[in-house]
This record gives sequence, structure tokens and C-alpha cells, in this order.
Amino acid sequence: MNRVKWLILVAVPLPVLNWRAVSAEPGYTWNLPKGFPKPYVPPDNPMTGAKVELGRYLFYDTRMSVNGKTSCATCHKQELAFTDGRAAGLGATGDSHSRGAMSLVNVSYSAALTWSNPQMKLLEEQALVPMFGQHPIELGLRQGDGFLPMLRADAKYQALFEQAFPGDADRYTIDNVTKAIASFERSIISARSPYDRYHYQREDDAVSDAAKRGEVLFFNQHLLCFQCHGGFNFSDATVSESSPRRRAEFHNTGLYNVPGASSYPAPNVGIYEFTKISGDMGKFKAPTLRNIALTAPYMHDGSIPTLEGVLDHYAAGGRTIASGPAAGVGHDNPNKDSRIAGFELSKQDRADLIEFLKSLTDLEVLHDPHFSDPWVSTKPHN
Amino acid sequence: MLQPTRVSILIAISAGLALAQNAKQQDAKPETGPAVLAVTGDVATPLSLKAEDLAGMPREKVMIAEQDGSQIEYEGVPLVEIMKKAGAPLGGQLRNKALASYILAKAADGYQVVFTLGEIDAAFGNEKILVADKRDGKSLFGYQGPFRLVCPNDKAGARSVRMLQSLEFVKLQK
Repeated sequence: MNRVKWLILVAVPLPVLNWRAVSAEPGYTWNLPKGFPKPYVPPDNPMTGAKVELGRYLFYDTRMSVNGKTSCATCHKQELAFTDGRAAGLGATGDSHSRGAMSLVNVSYSAALTWSNPQMKLLEEQALVPMFGQHPIELGLRQGDGFLPMLRADAKYQALFEQAFPGDADRYTIDNVTKAIASFERSIISARSPYDRYHYQREDDAVSDAAKRGEVLFFNQHLLCFQCHGGFNFSDATVSESSPRRRAEFHNTGLYNVPGASSYPAPNVGIYEFTKISGDMGKFKAPTLRNIALTAPYMHDGSIPTLEGVLDHYAAGGRTIASGPAAGVGHDNPNKDSRIAGFELSKQDRADLIEFLKSLTDLEVLHDPHFSDPWVSTKPHN
Repeated sequence: MLQPTRVSILIAISAGLALAQNAKQQDAKPETGPAVLAVTGDVATPLSLKAEDLAGMPREKVMIAEQDGSQIEYEGVPLVEIMKKAGAPLGGQLRNKALASYILAKAADGYQVVFTLGEIDAAFGNEKILVADKRDGKSLFGYQGPFRLVCPNDKAGARSVRMLQSLEFVKLQK
């Protein structure tokens, strides 16, 4: 596959990865808890501890940007479950992305990466978008700029590349950079939330009674939350080593219904951008709900600031915007998923559902040194 | 979350595993399924089964594979035993018009799935569909129980009704 081609595809922020494992590829041991399958790893980029470590250094290195001010971690901050708290990502030169940075937690299980590109399935390819993409500019690198020479000249990188790619005649390549970053991202696995202790370790007191009531609502046939946010990752279709290929799913939730040919405000038209099938207008990925309490604002464009607001949207069976350029009744969007039919929630139900969602917060992944900035003690990057 | 995909069956019939602890389960799990499973419809003996009733019936265990390959053990009473206790036509009685019948399994949240006697009768499908009340030796989670169906040979989990509330037997030809 021609990787350059992917640069044109566009503009989605670097996704997050999770890893945990049990034992696996040579040189790498996953530490996966019960319930979490071994992630899929592409055959041409087997996991090794050396690659993961190199990827961590690259991920946090602001020299991997046009002006030395931005790194992957700028939009994917560990303390925010690898999101940035913004409605839309902001590139090195001030370009605003049209969508929000997705969490990288457990990204290795995603059947498709980014909010709305059904063709983007490999982290190695996706990494090229923020590195070299022009619309918008994220990191702003260019072929032939000083990035690779910097790596070649840096003593720390010399050691890291030698360990990560010992057999390569020329180790300092974009291909190797993306392989290392992808390996690091795959390693970011979140599975230590109170819910995990309750559900997989059977610690009955790990979550509150309110969270347990919220869980019952979450799996209720009238709310149907679990149908798009299901499985161990509370997400759409997941891939793993034993199930490496699954069709990714995308949904129009009735977030918008503006007049005209495009019921969603451009440029965020969902997978229609790639498929050009009218029925795909407004279809976006249902992301993992793990750590969702930390990743506001919500939806692909960050247009809902709180989890309570998200519940309002789904309870209404679509969002109504009374005025402005996005005005419209999302409930009546012709492409809306039939499962977004609306439901009634009492005040107690609402609070219980929020408590359940909060039980998915994994505080350990926010502080795990394996995922932290390695430059903090040596350089002022990030 | 509970998607029984591949299954291996661990048959362990133990006719008197009397472990009645449903009351304790109810304490921490409000808003879940009812504590009584109703068997209604065209049966000779309508039933209202509590956990202690299931504990005294023939019980089995099945193993369900999770996505990571680990196994979950569900334990309960075979559906066929419950229908037999209610007097549904099984065994030698399951022929002719009796085959034109179905069991409507209803969940507390309104979810419904249909089964037939032919699926579970030993002379026909002989499927080991279970009315489970335990998962790995403990009460079911609130969103699953107190009772649920487990269909260990199904590739998808959609028939494994959670929060099972009633089993309604319907004869189409009487």
C-alpha cells in the first residue's frame, strides 16, 4: 500500500492505543488482564520493548514538528486519557482541526482509526497524517526537513534506534519512526478501572450501587447504549490477534440536521467524505467509553461539553439546535440510526448512568510511567 | 458483554446443589430482573420459580469463551427441565400438534426471544440451553440476573436473554 496516498486522505488526529498483554511477540510481554484479548499486531511491525520505548520518546518529542513546539502528546495528553480537552485539535502552526483528538487508550483494538475514515486501519499509516498532513497542518513535517538528521545526530536516539532496529542498514527512516510510534500506541492499554475490578475480578464493592444501577440502564433494551458501545472496550467492533479483521461500524446519531444536501455541517460529514454514499452522511465512529469522564468535550466535533449533555442528546433521539448555521432537528435526520429513538430518564437514572460511566475511569493509565513523557527529567519538551 | 461465541460444554449434573443466596444478591442490585421466574401459558402446571426452587432442580454448568479466550462458568437449570416441570409436552409427547408450539422468553426490560421445544428435547435438537443463576460460582451481575438464559452453542449472544422474567409456552394448534 502506498503510504503517501494516506497523507491525502486526511486529517484526523492521532488515535490512542492501549496495550496490555500476556506474552507474545519476541521481545515483548503484554500484561493483559482477564477479559482483554491480545491485540492485533501487523506482521511487518512485531512488538518489541525497544520499539515501544523509542516510540514513547518520539511521541513526546516536540522536535517532531515544524517549529519545535508540538508533539503527538500535545493533542494526546496522558492526564486526559490521551485527549486534549479541546473541541478541535490545534496544530503546530495554529491550524485548527475540524474534529476532536480521539483518546489513544486501547486504540490497538479499534477496527478503524479516527472518527470517520473507514479505510484507516493501521496505526503506522495513521501516524503519517499528523506528521505530514497539510489540511490541516498538525505537526507540519516535510520530506527532506531536518527531522531525520536530528534523530541521526542525537545520542539518545542513536541508542534507541540501534536497539529498536538493530538489523537495518539505515535506521533513521520515516517508516521506522511510524513503526515505533505505532508500537508505543499499541502498548497503551487501559483495563484497571473500578468497573474492571468489579466485573473481571468480582470485587463487588469496587463500584457504587449507583454505578451498578447505571450498568443495568446501560444494558437496557430501551436505551441500547451497549449496542454501539459494547464488549470489553465499550466501543464498536474491536479487532484482536484472534480476530484481526472486523468490519468497522459508523453511526449517524442525529446530532445535526441542517437544510440542504448535506445534513451535517461541512467538513464533518462522516464517512460520506470517503464513500460518497448519501446514506453515509453523518456517520461517525462510536468511540470507547473507557475513561469517558476525562475526555470532554464530546462527539466528533466536541459540540457537547458534558456527559449530561450527551445523555440529553440520546434521550431526545437526536439534538435540536434552535438557531444559527447548524439549526435543525437532529431527531429527524434521514440517515439517523434507527436505534437512536429516544428514551425517558428520571433524575435518578441520569445520575446512575453518569456514575456507571465514571466507573470506567482508569486512574492508573493516567500515571503509568510506561506511558509518560520520558523527556521531562532531561529536556523541556512538552 | 456477554457474547457466548464459541463454547465448550462442561456437563456436570448435580441434582441437589442447594445454594439459596438470591436474597443477598438482591441487596446490591436494584432495578434488575425479578426474583421470580414465571412459567406461564399452555402448560399443565404454571410455575413461579425462586432461586431456592432452581437450587433444588437438576443443575448443569456450561463454559462460555470470552473474547480473550478465558472461560466463564455459568450454572443453572436446563431449560428442558423447567419446561418438563411445568408439564410441557416433551419426550414421547412431543409429536404432531405439540411440535407447533413455542416458548417466548421475556426479559424485565422487554427483550423477547422465541425458542421451540424441539430445540431442547433430547430426541430432537438436544440443545443444552440453561436458565442460569450463577456466574463463576457467584450471583449474576445486576444487568444479567437474577436469572438469564445461556445458549452455549450459539455463535452470537443475542438469544441468551438477560434479566429473564418469564417463559410463556404457546401452543399454536390445540
